[in-house]
Amino acid sequence: MDFIGAYSPDHIVFLLKGFLVTLEVAGISILLSFLLGAILGIVRYTKVPVFAQISAIFVETIRNLPLLLIIFFVYFALPEVGIKLSITWSAILALTIFESAMLAEIIRSGLNSVHKGQMEAGRSSGLSYIQTLWYIILPQGVRRMVPPIVSQFISLLKDTSLAVVIALPEMMHNAQVLNAQNINYIIPIFILVAVIYFIVNFALSLVARRLELNM
Amino acid sequence: MFKNRKFLMFMLLSVLSVLVLAACGGGDKESKDKDSGAKSKSSLETIKANDKIVWGVKNDTKLFGLKNPSTGEIEGFDVDIAKELTKIILGDETKVEFKEVTSKTRIPMLNNGDIDSIIATMTISKERRKEVDFTDVYFEAGQSLLVKKGSKIKSIDDLDSKTKVIAVKGSTSAINIREKAPDAQVLEFENYAEAFTALKAGQGDVLTTDDSILYGMASQDNNFELVGGKFTEEPYGIAMKKGSDDFVKAVNDALAELKSNGKYNEIHDKWIKK
Repeated sequence: MDFIGAYSPDHIVFLLKGFLVTLEVAGISILLSFLLGAILGIVRYTKVPVFAQISAIFVETIRNLPLLLIIFFVYFALPEVGIKLSITWSAILALTIFESAMLAEIIRSGLNSVHKGQMEAGRSSGLSYIQTLWYIILPQGVRRMVPPIVSQFISLLKDTSLAVVIALPEMMHNAQVLNAQNINYIIPIFILVAVIYFIVNFALSLVARRLELNM
Repeated sequence: MFKNRKFLMFMLLSVLSVLVLAACGGGDKESKDKDSGAKSKSSLETIKANDKIVWGVKNDTKLFGLKNPSTGEIEGFDVDIAKELTKIILGDETKVEFKEVTSKTRIPMLNNGDIDSIIATMTISKERRKEVDFTDVYFEAGQSLLVKKGSKIKSIDDLDSKTKVIAVKGSTSAINIREKAPDAQVLEFENYAEAFTALKAGQGDVLTTDDSILYGMASQDNNFELVGGKFTEEPYGIAMKKGSDDFVKAVNDALAELKSNGKYNEIHDKWIKK
């Protein structure tokens, strides 16, 4: 093991560059999957005909597949039908598909946890269905959703490392390039990667805890 | 209540249709671009028109294609050969672009048109000939064994049912070892660095891959040594999309020129030390 050689400034900069890609891909996927997950979750909660069924089929299919398989599928199979995406967008699309199914379930269960009487009370006091949903159900549900949503975001950030299989230049990928420079680097480099992931993800959980307290 | 639900459904329908339209629009454009490039011209003409060759190279293989973390450039035998070939075909060695490939992504990327050619420690095999066109051999590797010094394994004949052999996924060496030592258990890892670390950690008894790569490992950790010599021939070839006869010929001519003018030996000696 060669800690001094492995932790040269060039190598640390190279790893952090990879981490920027991790953050970029995770950030865009978080935004997109939250939007899509919210639509899917709310549609399933409100039982809008046809769409609720489509949403249910989508969520149940995706939730029961491994993310690695979805990444392979997006990158290798979609070009066969004429949809060709860059490595970065393939990774973002695969993560968005997978995580939105997870988020949809979190959001649906958050909404379901609000007592049915709330909807009835809202409706009988003259609010429309959408108004009741927006002003009464959602605010109560959201409070309960925040902790599981944040932990899902943390999973998403860690899951970006699976895109190493399609050579996305994120942190794990760059770690492998460093490992290949010298076979004595592998353990020191993996320790450093673990430290970087931990710092960022732990900071995220702390932010989530603050959010919960403030609500 | 029903009325409101209908409204919600209408909104969803419109969102969905916009998404579908956007997706179709994007898709059409891509496929049109691809068609106009590929159909009308031969591969060599396309390359000359682009005035650039896009090579698919490894970025995690020491000696052949390895990214330098300080400069961000990929360096190695494959890269230098690709530069020289480009110099002969297009007259300028700066008209190159290198894209990183792995053993898994290289053939799909070639067929998608992401890269013009693969020069990435790729062994010419019958199976692969069905998918791509190969040039002449540009490097003669051979599979060998790496063990910890003092190991009782001295050659391929010592591999029995108790031996755990470490290999790299997607490589011909993993297939060869199953033929040459059918009793041995084979463990396959993602890349060479992980395979070596597994050997060092005692997860297996012997690591097998092309000797040129094993020499690189042995030079970095002198507790390990090569045994048994080469037991296969692994001719590396440069791969092109099926039906690129004129491009294959241009590369073959350029390779022959490099071998006759001494440039090939110069590059070989720079990277491969035995």
